[in-house]
Amino acid sequence: MTSQTLQKVDHSVLKTNQLFIISLNILAFILNLPALAAFVALVMGIGSALKTPGFGFVYKSILKPRGWMKPDVLNDNPEPHRFSQILGFVFMTAGSLALFLGSTVLGWGLVWLVIGLAALNAFGGFCVGCAVYYWLARFNLPGFGKQPPAGTFPGMKPKASTNI
Amino acid sequence: MNSDIFLRLGLALCIIGLGLFVYWRINQRLLLNAQNNALSLFNTLPNKPVIVYFTTSDYAPCKTIQRPALHQLSGLMGDKLHVIEIDAAQQPELAKQWGVLSVPTTFLLDARGEARYVNNGVARVEKLMEQLQTL
Repeated sequence: MTSQTLQKVDHSVLKTNQLFIISLNILAFILNLPALAAFVALVMGIGSALKTPGFGFVYKSILKPRGWMKPDVLNDNPEPHRFSQILGFVFMTAGSLALFLGSTVLGWGLVWLVIGLAALNAFGGFCVGCAVYYWLARFNLPGFGKQPPAGTFPGMKPKASTNI
Repeated sequence: MNSDIFLRLGLALCIIGLGLFVYWRINQRLLLNAQNNALSLFNTLPNKPVIVYFTTSDYAPCKTIQRPALHQLSGLMGDKLHVIEIDAAQQPELAKQWGVLSVPTTFLLDARGEARYVNNGVARVEKLMEQLQTL
């Protein structure tokens, strides 16, 4: 249990981001386009710098205003999700570099790792990057100060009524 | 060039298939968990299909989609269906026993109390009805 202050986090933005990462990376793999994988890495990098999900602008400017996706606002910590994107950005950058340097197996392996983790988050509700964040927080590392919302398994999507 | 794309497409489908297989195995495990815990919910078997619905009181998709869907289904099925609603936040131990990690999660048990289906996430009326018809 924790008395920390949680924030309103719209999980639909996160899901949109994950679905774009998955789709574009699979497309990059099928069409053998390392540049597309690098583009995904770039968007994730920009998102990390701006502290927002990289492809979240698609949700905010198209999906939400047209009612194609509904908000899924939960009381949660945004920091672990940001950390998770940074982790994804690092893997995607490493994967893209490996592809441009000719290490195709390593490169696409890293890209598929990101696809798998994003899919686990989007369809299974488990954020591995967030779990890593909460695990690091146990060691009181600077910048890792948040605890999982009460009653929520570290990395799992919070259950709304447990954290209000 | 084309053959390369098809090869990659095939590989991508294999990887996605592997992911789906893992997901299916996890669901099988959840059903086994449900099977082991189902009988503790009843004093006597209800002799009709049962939906065990894990929810929380104010999670939006539960309130706006899943609960109305179950009400509609109860209305359609009448006394041929028994719905048990469990608040996962109020009864975390029970949710843990059943292996529930997110809400809404619905388990469908047949008249003998055997767990036959599990739906992770929102399950609409049509889907639930389809599953009930196979019980």
